[in-house]
Amino acid sequence: MTKITVNGRAVEADPKQPLIAACHANQADVPTYCYHPGLTPVGSCRICQVEVQQGTGPARVVVACRTYPAEGMVVQTESEKAHEVRRECLEFLLKNHPLDCPICDKAGECDLQDFTYTEGQSAGRSHEPRRPLEKRKSLGDVIVLDEERCILCSRCVRFFEEVTKKPQLTVADLGSRSTIATFADRPLTGNYQGNIADLCPVGALTLKKFRFQARVWNLVKMASTCAECSRGCSTTVEVLRGGEVKRFRPRDNPAVNQWWLCDTGRFAFEHVNAGERLDGARTRESLAAVAELLAEDPAALLVASPFCTQEEGALILGFARSRGVQAYFLSPAPNGLKDALLHTGDPCPNRRGLTELGFAPLSPAEIGSPKTLVLFGERSAELCGTALARAGRVALFDCHAAALPNVAASIGVPTHVERSGTWINIDGQRGVLGAARPAPAGVRPLTSLVPELAALLRAQAVRP
Amino acid sequence: MRKFETWLLERATVPNAHTLAVYKQLGGYHALSKVLKGEKPMSPADVVNEVKLSELRGRGGAGFSCGMKWSFMPDPQKDPRPRYLAINADESEPGTCKDRVLMEQDPHGLVEGALIACYAIRAQAAYIYVRGEYRLSYQRLQAAIDEARAANLVGKNILGTGFSCEIHMHKGAGAYICGEETGLMESLEGKRGHPRPKPPFPAAFGLWGQPTTVNNVETIFNVPFIVARGGAWHAAIGTKGSKGNFLCGVSGHVEKPGVYELPFGLTARQIIDEFAGGVWKGRKCKAWFPGGSSCALVKGEDLDVVLDHDSLKTKGSSLGTAALIVMDDQTSIARVMEIIARFYDHESCGQCSQCREGTQWLSQIFHRIATGQGQPDDVATLESLAKGMAPGKTICALSDAAAIPTLSAVRLFKDELLECVKQKRDTLPYPRVEYAGAH
Amino acid sequence: MALPERLVREFDELVKKYPEKRAALIPALHRCQEELGGWLAPQVLEDLSAYFQLEPVEVYGVASFYPMFRLRPAGKHVVSVCHNISCELRGATQLLEHVCKLTGAKPYGTSPDGKFTVWPVECQGACANAPMFDLDGVYHEDLTPAKAEKILGGVR
Repeated sequence: MTKITVNGRAVEADPKQPLIAACHANQADVPTYCYHPGLTPVGSCRICQVEVQQGTGPARVVVACRTYPAEGMVVQTESEKAHEVRRECLEFLLKNHPLDCPICDKAGECDLQDFTYTEGQSAGRSHEPRRPLEKRKSLGDVIVLDEERCILCSRCVRFFEEVTKKPQLTVADLGSRSTIATFADRPLTGNYQGNIADLCPVGALTLKKFRFQARVWNLVKMASTCAECSRGCSTTVEVLRGGEVKRFRPRDNPAVNQWWLCDTGRFAFEHVNAGERLDGARTRESLAAVAELLAEDPAALLVASPFCTQEEGALILGFARSRGVQAYFLSPAPNGLKDALLHTGDPCPNRRGLTELGFAPLSPAEIGSPKTLVLFGERSAELCGTALARAGRVALFDCHAAALPNVAASIGVPTHVERSGTWINIDGQRGVLGAARPAPAGVRPLTSLVPELAALLRAQAVRP
Repeated sequence: MRKFETWLLERATVPNAHTLAVYKQLGGYHALSKVLKGEKPMSPADVVNEVKLSELRGRGGAGFSCGMKWSFMPDPQKDPRPRYLAINADESEPGTCKDRVLMEQDPHGLVEGALIACYAIRAQAAYIYVRGEYRLSYQRLQAAIDEARAANLVGKNILGTGFSCEIHMHKGAGAYICGEETGLMESLEGKRGHPRPKPPFPAAFGLWGQPTTVNNVETIFNVPFIVARGGAWHAAIGTKGSKGNFLCGVSGHVEKPGVYELPFGLTARQIIDEFAGGVWKGRKCKAWFPGGSSCALVKGEDLDVVLDHDSLKTKGSSLGTAALIVMDDQTSIARVMEIIARFYDHESCGQCSQCREGTQWLSQIFHRIATGQGQPDDVATLESLAKGMAPGKTICALSDAAAIPTLSAVRLFKDELLECVKQKRDTLPYPRVEYAGAH
Repeated sequence: MALPERLVREFDELVKKYPEKRAALIPALHRCQEELGGWLAPQVLEDLSAYFQLEPVEVYGVASFYPMFRLRPAGKHVVSVCHNISCELRGATQLLEHVCKLTGAKPYGTSPDGKFTVWPVECQGACANAPMFDLDGVYHEDLTPAKAEKILGGVR
């Protein structure tokens, strides 16, 4: 580590990381566009200019993303000169940038808005018409490009090159005619397109699925974990007042997903918004019905959804042990989405956690035709698929109903965005869930339902 | 007629000097022989020292000491990676047409210089990056390399001395920014010509990440002469801080535009009057660029300044590529700056915010002023924008190159520009063609 | 579609000059433009990307950077007229106007008969012999409207 001074405070800086990292780690909020910790620094936007002084030399203005800490370096990020050069830089960026804020999805989380607010000047001087370019260029199923808003930071270009290792975008033409483009207007492909909308510091690259959906300051945000595979990428769930999840976004996690999220996970919020939820109106009667089924069949097959948390799993396992039976979790086959980056291809978010607790995996085919089948947890009916119809009688704890004649009792449970808990990912990393919105009225989590079920059974056993 | 020693253009006027036979007759490859197998063969360090002694400064516009630049190459014991010489033949600075003369008419001179330079910096290969439009230069150089190879002067075991060196021709494709040394390297590697942030410098991280020296054509062309006659000989010619002869391209409103070989020490007026036939049509000079369009304008009344590195600084300008562009008293400065600003807008690679947007903005403002659509705050805005574009705020100096002439135009010709704005017309209008499309 | 065999063989030799194959891309783009119709069609860029083991978008990014590469068809003959400062000071505007009149093309445009594309260009390094134009790769310098007329008139 190298000893430097940032805004008068002595700090330790990693000499292998650009100065901007040391600034950000020490409350010096130097603005950035082209710099991103997950991409090679290019030093092109010039907004991260700071003043640096070494030894007896004069202070000079440098870009923090391409300068490396040296012993004794004195860094000023808030000097008059630093602010002056950033203000100049912003004026150049705003010269052609359209005044789209009122209709731009990025408003409220836009780095150009934010830095103009803190560092920019209040009036523009340009008499020139802004350059007219394509404003809604479809780049395929996921992304829309607004060429006029683009500030040519090239993060999107570098993302495909360096992270997915397959270039799909380029800067085309040069100078003031530069645009971001694919080859021959071909659509983007692959399962990581959504990341460029996160990376884009402005509203040039936006998600079709988020277009005009919400103003971001009306979204309630909760830290959570992706449910779509055993990678368990860290996410933020964003809910619009009224209850619809409008977005999943990746949350930085160096140990799991760095800064990225695959599109399968990113757009999975559509599942959790699906209507026709099992409600909590008849929970007590249904629980009693389940208890009766279980009392009649000591060999009832107890199967947890792979979405069950550690907390839920511990209770289900305890319950199974009290009945002297093995607890299982549903283990559907790999779904073919495995890639070299994040997706594991295993649709069980908590396979490792449940296995470590003591559950045994059970594929839908292995369910066979049990007399009684109890399914605990969200998407368990869906994951069973056709196997569900072969069971004798089914007690279902799930989010949605299964329209089958052999379902004797159904009890609503929260989805993974409506409850808290822990999953363990493929590498043993803990992923937390947080409730971003309340479950439908009366719907209680398994952590509450399973003990109540156990209590009901104990009460029945005591009765003569 | 003023008399002085010349060497740069000596062979160029001899018929067929571009062929090996004639080149050798005129003393060609003597310097190479002297270095490799003369009475006192020179080591690479000896060659570097001789060039340092000569005080030869780069002729591509930056004027950096050639010997010092060579000495930045790492010690091959410590860094044994392959290393390269890249010769910058991308000559694209407006007003500049001197390297072309050397390449077309004396290509072996460049080949010999390249060989000696490679020897000095211990490079195994040189790439000559020629701008795509210079087809004859490319052909002549390629033919010269082929002749030299056949005569065991290029390739393996040159003149049986164990020194091996390859020279490859490479073609650019019309981008001025590829004359910037790191833009050149990106382009040579087959990419967009985006200049690289420095540090690292080419000697540490050059072509394909390996130690590289980039030199201008005319700079390298001087090397055989320096090695043959000694650095002290070269340092005795010229002025303090600007040694030797240089090729001065005089263009614009003169009777005899041309490329003239001159020693440092002459004033702009002497050059124009004694070599270029004087300002044309009996007119007076209103303004001039000393060294291409990337330096500050100088007023016509200041022609009595010596055209060298240090003297031009006293007039707020610089030598650049020594492309002396003369503008007579009927010239519209607004029109001149419209063209200059448009050039930088066209050529900006677009990486840096200030340059990408600023070059376009300057171009748009000058266009409006020159076409009678100026706004009252335009001249002040030009000055302010140019100050935001320089100095040293961007990856490379193109932003500075656009800002410097702009600031000089405002400094020296503010009244004329303000008059164009006030009168709502170009006060010295040129006939103009309406441009139909993109530039 | 693939590159003609003769070009592939040429490129196989070309890449030997460099430690990395990609360095031959810009010279290869020149050759393709020269040999395959005077411009670089998307198919050509795609074929080149296969040869150089790059993605087509990378080749497109390179080709679109350089003013000498045409990504749209041009006329049979291309007249590049310099309109930078040294040429302008000696009458480039009048020359350009005249060339447009003679050919019937607008600046940056192609004549209706498809014979000429007239392209204003930046400094071509002929400043001491201004004004000038480049006709199909050959410089014509020290031009006057009359000389221009003679040269263009002689073009088939």
